[in-house]
Amino acid sequence: MIAALLKVTDLTVVHDGDGGERTLLDAVSFDLAAGEVLGLVGESGSGKSLLCRSLVRLLPSSRLRISGGSITLSGRELTTAPEAEMLAVRGGEIGMIFQNPSSHLDPVMRIGDQITEGIRFHQRLDAKAARAAAVDILAQVGFPDPARQYDSYPHEFSGGMRQRAMIGAALSSNPRILIADEPTTALDVTIQAQILRLLMDIRARRGLSVILVTHDLGIVAQVCDRIAVMWQGRLVEIGEKRGLLAAPAHAYTRSLIASHPSLPEEDMPAKAEKLRTPGAVPVVDIEKLHVRFATGGLFRRGAVDAVNGVTLRVMPGETVGIVGESGSGKSTLARAVLGLTPVSSGTIRFDGTDIASGRAVLGMLRRQTAMVFQDPYNALNPHLTVGKMLAEVLRVQGKIETAQIPARCGELLDLVGLGRAFLDRKPRSMSGGQCQRAGIARALAVDPKLIIADECVAALDVTIQAQIVELFRELVERMSLTLIFIAHDLAIVRNLCQRVVVMHRGVIVEEGRSEEVFSRPKHAYTAALIAAVPHIDPDKPLLAPSKMATPQADGVAN
Amino acid sequence: MHRYKFVLYRPLQFLPVLFGISVITFILVRLIPGDPARVLLGTRATPEAIARIRAQYGLDEPMLAQYFYFLRNLADGEMGRSILYKIDVLKLIATRIEPTLTLVLCSVVLSVLIAVPVAAIAARNQGRLADQVIRIVSTFGIGFPPFWLGLMLIILFSVELAILPVSGYGNTLSGKLAHLVLPSLTVSLSLSTVLARSLRAAMVEGLKSDVATAARARGMPESIVFWRHVLPNSLVPTVNLLAVNIGWLLGGTVVVETVFALPGMGQLLVRAIFSRDYMVVQGVAMVFACATVLINFLADIVTVALDPRVKL
Repeated sequence: MIAALLKVTDLTVVHDGDGGERTLLDAVSFDLAAGEVLGLVGESGSGKSLLCRSLVRLLPSSRLRISGGSITLSGRELTTAPEAEMLAVRGGEIGMIFQNPSSHLDPVMRIGDQITEGIRFHQRLDAKAARAAAVDILAQVGFPDPARQYDSYPHEFSGGMRQRAMIGAALSSNPRILIADEPTTALDVTIQAQILRLLMDIRARRGLSVILVTHDLGIVAQVCDRIAVMWQGRLVEIGEKRGLLAAPAHAYTRSLIASHPSLPEEDMPAKAEKLRTPGAVPVVDIEKLHVRFATGGLFRRGAVDAVNGVTLRVMPGETVGIVGESGSGKSTLARAVLGLTPVSSGTIRFDGTDIASGRAVLGMLRRQTAMVFQDPYNALNPHLTVGKMLAEVLRVQGKIETAQIPARCGELLDLVGLGRAFLDRKPRSMSGGQCQRAGIARALAVDPKLIIADECVAALDVTIQAQIVELFRELVERMSLTLIFIAHDLAIVRNLCQRVVVMHRGVIVEEGRSEEVFSRPKHAYTAALIAAVPHIDPDKPLLAPSKMATPQADGVAN
Repeated sequence: MHRYKFVLYRPLQFLPVLFGISVITFILVRLIPGDPARVLLGTRATPEAIARIRAQYGLDEPMLAQYFYFLRNLADGEMGRSILYKIDVLKLIATRIEPTLTLVLCSVVLSVLIAVPVAAIAARNQGRLADQVIRIVSTFGIGFPPFWLGLMLIILFSVELAILPVSGYGNTLSGKLAHLVLPSLTVSLSLSTVLARSLRAAMVEGLKSDVATAARARGMPESIVFWRHVLPNSLVPTVNLLAVNIGWLLGGTVVVETVFALPGMGQLLVRAIFSRDYMVVQGVAMVFACATVLINFLADIVTVALDPRVKL
């Protein structure tokens, strides 16, 4: 390898708390060559983001400090450099982009001004030259009309365009290293593919080195040269991607690869077709459903068809996945089924009864259906212990005797694999996975015929995702539940669901048995969706030249 | 510019609001116990004299009829005659509005001039000595009632140091301003603490926000991070708080104008209430109510200017 651009040796970061020192980064060492793309993977809390912040000495709390080790950038020591020198390093040498462009872009500042700011500060250009440079950067990151879009505000753009703007702001000061912290996690797969392609294109054009933090092994397999794996504050493994993926040395790396949902699973017994009694009444029977939302104010009225004529039938015991990008109407459909969103036209029958036929029916619906939400923390009441939360649901439902409630709470926790010790815990003291299990226990407390899970694993780490999906699989088996599973992650749906429904702009574009839809998609949109999922096998390239990639074909990894 | 379209049609919504205000003040004022004619003529007035005065001012007519007269006069640009001052209420208010308006304006400007730097210092030194001192001082600012604070300021600056007038209002611009220093300071000391607290809280949030992190990651020094990113984002909630407080301040001028003997609307209102001068109480209440509506309208315009995401 050529001389390293960035060399990190035994970097240690500690937290000075009330109970003494706690080591959060434990002697991390790695180096980064010019033009190299290093993938940094690990679950949340493993120290990936903290490591990135430490490299530019932007620690998220004043209680954190670098207690040892060194960071050298082209031979210059950064851990002891004066703050003024670090100002030039941040942005000027090492640029950063973040997971959530919506919260990292200044909402009250024009997009262009946020790019100009860095140019003026680092390159000392005057206002006019800086603006010209910013317009040029906006064009480079894919804004179709940069001179006009310079004056727009972040909220006027989609998530993907905002991420492009943030990349533009990071590039504004001509850094040599770009740290991208989960840059595509908040984006849809097709947009994710575009952003990754853009990053690789910029890397190729500017000779940038990139540290790409992600939890998705598929992304690292596709775009990185080397992979570093972090686990509990330590860098447990680093190596060339093919070697590492083929022969992982550390146990955590092995579990990470095993739980990656893009791996085809040969043994999927749970998906065996359920016996379908002919003439059985469907649990959910949706016919020509329209849900229209009014937009605009008093003077400029408009309407958006969030769900535009959907017909769908879900039989008892079925597991149906609904996939689609954000804004495709999948969550609205789910909310309509539960009677949470007013329907514009069409009918929804639950167990043969039209849910629009009165409050009594709605009450019946609420006693037989349950929802599991995306954000496990915010969906639980922070003031209630898990036990109280479950007892409340059981009491309100009134399906069992009051005296049996405590026993039933324990059973429910056993069912979701939490154990009875969690009866007295509050959400604050639980991990995301544990909270989601509690959320599922709450849904089961209703003793529902139908569970609707809306993006319920999207906020969880990959290894935890796999566990929750496994839990659903078990529960469906054991309790003959009907499950509607909404997700944007195609691989998870493929693993869990017998049938899949693909939604696009409020319409079902394709529907069928999972294996069939995923292996032989009939609709172009489904095919594009599947093609955009980064595969864990580096030899199945995601970034294969497409009509969008003409100039960046040489920027593709490998 | 379509975001500013509401400036054109929002005033239409004021009409029903103003109508409601007029009905409520009209009824409330007439619920005050006591007879204005008796107050005007003194305790030894004959029943005939009282009846004559009541007829002259229309006080013997039913409430509904009185309200119609009130509306008809309003359409003619009149608010009825003051029983005490014997001139039209609107003309009377016109002579008294300037000191009050200037007092409110000076108080608001002074409050903002105090609140922004104080909040900035506190937020940027969160938890340190400067922050603690500001917190303690501002607790005192909220705790002391304005009339007491006003008296203390008079004792200190007018009596002991003798650099500012004790009370009253001047005739020249400089004289007027000199008379307004202490009253404005009295109001600002309590108003600025309320503003500074809200602003500090927003700034502390802002300094920890992703926007600030991203700016630091671009190599921006702390001063740019603060003044260019944190401050503009912190102003929006404070503008609305300020608008609410100006409404409250209009009522507060009653106390301050009394303490400093400023010939403004507050003082007028107090005298009118004591002498059961219905028409004046009604007129002043209406002007205050309209002013509050107008101030909130202005605050909406400022909010739209500060935050491009807001649509009204």
